[in-house]
Amino acid sequence: MSPAILFLLALGLGLAGWLAARARAWSFRRRDPDVRLAALPAHYGWYVALWVVVPVIAFAVLWSIAAPQLVMQHVLSQPAASQLPPFGLKRLTILAEARAVASGAAAGVFNPEAQALVEPFRVALSRYNTIGIAATLVIAFLGGAWSFLRVKPDFAARTKVERTTMIVLLLASLVAILTTLGIFGSLVFETIRFFGMISPLDFLFGTHWGPDPMSSSADPSRYGALPLFWGTIYIGAIIAMVVAIPLGMMSAIYLTQYADPRWRQWLKPALEILAGVPTVVYGYFAALTVAPAVRDLALSLGISNASSESALAAGLVMGVMIIPFVSSMADDSIAAVPQAMRDGSLAMGATTNETIRKVLVPAALPGIVAGVMLAVSRAIGETMIVVMAAGAAANLSANPLEAMTTVTFQIVAMLTGEGSFDHPATLSAFALGMVLFLVTLALNFIALRVVKRFREAYE
Amino acid sequence: MNGAPTRTAAFEARLKKRYAAERRFRRAGLGAILFSVAVLLFLLGTMTINGIGGFQRAELRVDLDFASAAFSSDPSLGDRGVQIRSLESQGLPQFVEASAEQTLGAAGAEQLNGDAWRVVADMILERPDILHRTSQVWLPATESLSSALSGDGQAELQPLARDLAARGLLERHFDPGFLTRSDATDPQMVGIWSALKGSILTMIVTLALAFPIGVLAALYLEEYAPKNRWTDLIEVSINNLAAVPSIIFGLLGLAVFLVIFPHMRSAPLIGGMTLALMTMPVIVISGRNAIKAVPPSIRDGAMALGASPIQVVFHHVLPLALPGILTGTIIGMARALGETAPLLMIGMRAFVATPPDGFTDPSTVLPVQIFLWSDEIDRGFVERTSAAIIVLLIFLLVMNGLAIYLRNKFEKKW
Repeated sequence: MSPAILFLLALGLGLAGWLAARARAWSFRRRDPDVRLAALPAHYGWYVALWVVVPVIAFAVLWSIAAPQLVMQHVLSQPAASQLPPFGLKRLTILAEARAVASGAAAGVFNPEAQALVEPFRVALSRYNTIGIAATLVIAFLGGAWSFLRVKPDFAARTKVERTTMIVLLLASLVAILTTLGIFGSLVFETIRFFGMISPLDFLFGTHWGPDPMSSSADPSRYGALPLFWGTIYIGAIIAMVVAIPLGMMSAIYLTQYADPRWRQWLKPALEILAGVPTVVYGYFAALTVAPAVRDLALSLGISNASSESALAAGLVMGVMIIPFVSSMADDSIAAVPQAMRDGSLAMGATTNETIRKVLVPAALPGIVAGVMLAVSRAIGETMIVVMAAGAAANLSANPLEAMTTVTFQIVAMLTGEGSFDHPATLSAFALGMVLFLVTLALNFIALRVVKRFREAYE
Repeated sequence: MNGAPTRTAAFEARLKKRYAAERRFRRAGLGAILFSVAVLLFLLGTMTINGIGGFQRAELRVDLDFASAAFSSDPSLGDRGVQIRSLESQGLPQFVEASAEQTLGAAGAEQLNGDAWRVVADMILERPDILHRTSQVWLPATESLSSALSGDGQAELQPLARDLAARGLLERHFDPGFLTRSDATDPQMVGIWSALKGSILTMIVTLALAFPIGVLAALYLEEYAPKNRWTDLIEVSINNLAAVPSIIFGLLGLAVFLVIFPHMRSAPLIGGMTLALMTMPVIVISGRNAIKAVPPSIRDGAMALGASPIQVVFHHVLPLALPGILTGTIIGMARALGETAPLLMIGMRAFVATPPDGFTDPSTVLPVQIFLWSDEIDRGFVERTSAAIIVLLIFLLVMNGLAIYLRNKFEKKW
């Protein structure tokens, strides 16, 4: 059963409770015009609706997690399930097929073994469906009835509803913490499992990267991630920044200091569009247009071993992607420099560019540095461009025309392959994710600190 | 004041140099921004030029004389698939092949797409009355003939393509089916509808989760939260989440959501949940700014009339801040719509040939479809990929345009 039905059921029952309780509150007033209700009639409605919806949704969430497991248990306890292969992909495929046919998602099965399981699946699915809907109705009825009976003229429904609202608000803001904990927890857990097989030193300082998802033993000499870190830094923090910092800075300076307002009206949105292009489109652009152009250029310059997947192509396109980011950060920090400093410099007879280079940029420097750090953190976390244009070979080289691979590329490669969840090659993706997470977090943290100190200077 | 002229020759020379430097600097600035604009135009131009071809396909003209073949379509069979199978068993594929051989000759008929008869079957189901007439229909050619028509591909097919084109039997036509079909292995037969539908379902889940949670969290932090260690922690984690690389959210989805819901691999529900966690911080941050912009006098006024803190916020502050929050939400959603990497992590990279029917069906999304097609080497897929990119970019432009429109319409000075 799709969880959507349970949620719609919950909302419908909640609406019914709301209407009933509000009508009851109105009826007190109709019966006795002198009665003073402790809350508005709508508050009684909300009170009952909350008592219906909240338990039902809590149940629906738990049920949609538990029901598939219960269905699976029921099916596996059937005699037909005893012929299944013990473990592995084949067993999962057969079960998934039988399930798809039983729930009507597929018309027939490929594996003959699945046919026998369709009927048990159908029985189990319909049984647990019925149980789920019945339980939903019972819970809604109990919650609704209990709260409905408490609707009395002197019952302070508003305080209850408002207290619940506050709790909901608090829970909503806790989602951020839960997400952070979830990220941290899942990364740490899998990383520890990975480091149980491969020593952290081999991983962080080894120079050969070539995990084999098919091999049965973990060979520590194949898990040296240094070439990945180098590729990431070379593409994201060197080539991309060489493109993005000067172009972004000069764009920001031109837009804020020189451009005619009418021009700015058109140029600024153009930069914003550049920032809004999806990264997969940049990746396609890099792989289809830029990479062949870079290779042809290198060949025409007499470099014979130029690769069609090069660090240069990926870095150039990534730099273009980062330009609007750098320019808007630089824009903000230049605008934050007090006008008096600019006026003073111009009054001394400096030209505009002398003012910018000698007064505005130095004054805005901490903000610009922070912006560059954020840009670097975004560039090293960028995935699609490197996946589509940078290549899979882990090279520890300074030649920008060679194929290089990055941390994000390897995360994608390790997790979209065939390997099982217990293999070090798969787990290495989480270790790489952990490194990426920590590095970007550190960059953001430093950037935030730099900006904070900078702001104090002019206040 | 010693009476000496201020503008000595050396001064003039220096001044000239400084002005030249000024002009150079200014031109460098203009150059930088023009470079960005040029790259943008080049990117859009490449996609458009490649993509225009992607909305078309090469089609062969075949004369079908249905009257001689006596097919029957029986609407009482109900399901479309069953009806198509019934036509297949009545010999429709062979009939189409034979007709093609009559119109195009043996060599030409060989280049008729293997699935061409399905197009005819659809036509029959759409308008059963064509079964009583002779009709000329345009059917998709094979991919090799299509590339021969554009002048590359197999050299031996090119004379045939030229000949058929000269006789008016082979033409490129706008292919409306590109928007309504699903993924396939043949670029002549692919469409983006299943990816588009997957994107829409995923976005619905994302919006339904991220918007309420984001708005409520923003309200709490801006209006009610006491200033203490816990709320500091919440704030720090929201700001950090906004800066975490998107692929990390994919790892979270893989390690948490797919463990809780193991049979929902590549479902829009899981994709939407993953993207919602990514979008929520954006909505919180923009929501807080919008709430901050509502002047305190509104709150004081409501308070003075006896409203409770909850009523102040939900009756007065939230409605006034809503346009600003919506702008931020649309921008966050636009980013989520273009996001690929986290969805690759949770398995939304499968070949999906049927559009998803619900939030729990396997599906793919538009950016992932683009990524999958970009791996195909066929010339036809290059065009199709660019065409899909055009559709995606149009969606994003419309969303961003909407955000700008809302911002301008509701921008208020208090």
